[in-house]
Amino acid sequence: EDAAEESTVSAELIASRRRLIDEWNAWRIKVKRELKEEKGKRPQQRHLQEKVE
Amino acid sequence: MVRFTSKRPILLQGHERSLTQVKYNAEGDLLFSCSKDDTVNAWYSHNGERLGTYGGHNGTVWTLDVDYQTKFLVTGSADNMMKLWDVETGQCLYTWEFLTAVKRVAFSEDGELIVCVTEQRAVAQGAIRVFKINRHDGRIQDPEPISLFHPIGTKATLASFGWDSKHIITGHESGKVAIFDAKTGEELRANEKAHHEPVTDLQLAPDRSYFVTSSKDKSARLHDSRTLAVLKTYTTETPLNSAAIAPLRPYVLLGGGQDAMSVTTTSLRQGKFETRFWHKVFEEEVGRVRGHFGPINTIAVHPDGRSYSSGGEDGFVRVHFFDVSYFKARPYGDLEAEE
Repeated sequence: EDAAEESTVSAELIASRRRLIDEWNAWRIKVKRELKEEKGKRPQQRHLQEKVE
Repeated sequence: MVRFTSKRPILLQGHERSLTQVKYNAEGDLLFSCSKDDTVNAWYSHNGERLGTYGGHNGTVWTLDVDYQTKFLVTGSADNMMKLWDVETGQCLYTWEFLTAVKRVAFSEDGELIVCVTEQRAVAQGAIRVFKINRHDGRIQDPEPISLFHPIGTKATLASFGWDSKHIITGHESGKVAIFDAKTGEELRANEKAHHEPVTDLQLAPDRSYFVTSSKDKSARLHDSRTLAVLKTYTTETPLNSAAIAPLRPYVLLGGGQDAMSVTTTSLRQGKFETRFWHKVFEEEVGRVRGHFGPINTIAVHPDGRSYSSGGEDGFVRVHFFDVSYFKARPYGDLEAEE
């Protein structure tokens, strides 16, 4: 029973984190699109292309 | 929570008093530091060797910034002066003098403008000035700003160019943050209750679309650069002096601490003052790095996201290099945040 409850809680937590990430990512994608649209009006950004392997 | 280990922290010993600001140049090969002991230093960030010292101020150097080309350095001091320096030669190119201390300076993204905050005192109102910089000959500068304005109500202590060079974001003693038109000085937006105690630091994300503030109210917040909407809040148990946004990983770095009077001698002796790492999106603390012997006054993250520096009340700058675990750690599984 306890284990069942625990897994519900963690499922809720996971769902809530998923929602937070989705909200954040949607906002970031929107902002990046708007920044791109403004390009030309402002100097080239130095973007960080490098990713850690 | 993880106690992040750093490979080999480098201790930079070139200041005799507490640090006020540290900052990397755009390439990240150099780290600049200023302090209450009147000196400004430049260091090679990978090994901590000193490139040089910029001498000339006669009072606490509160603030510095370096332009995107690493050509010019600007500093502001309690001696009421703002100085422009040649980064490479260390020569002071130009000095502006005011009636009160210079608390914050910052270049625009293109290095064409400098915003400067001067302190409010009986002799003068607090002011924000924007200077147009002659980038061809640094020795020939206009002594007059292209705009000058006085925020009313609560004094500004922090300023930076915002989303673009037309907007200035300010942080205030009351906890307010605001956006001003760089040309007209008109207050375009304000969040009077961003914090309820003084804002102590304000740093923008690399693309300038959002920024982080720290406050004596023990919290740090993430704000939208255009709307000032509060995106996230990080609530700690200690007054904060600095906050920085990490590239590569979804973290903000927070530093502060109770001043020496209110901490036990044990924690002083053991270097327990910690940089706190908070998950930017989930608003949860994920790790700490300890080391300083007094409150952390200033934090800067290397532009490549692989190291960071902190400047303390203890007079030291510590350069920390993240190890593999920092990059590999996925405390929240496969949930990845967009940068």
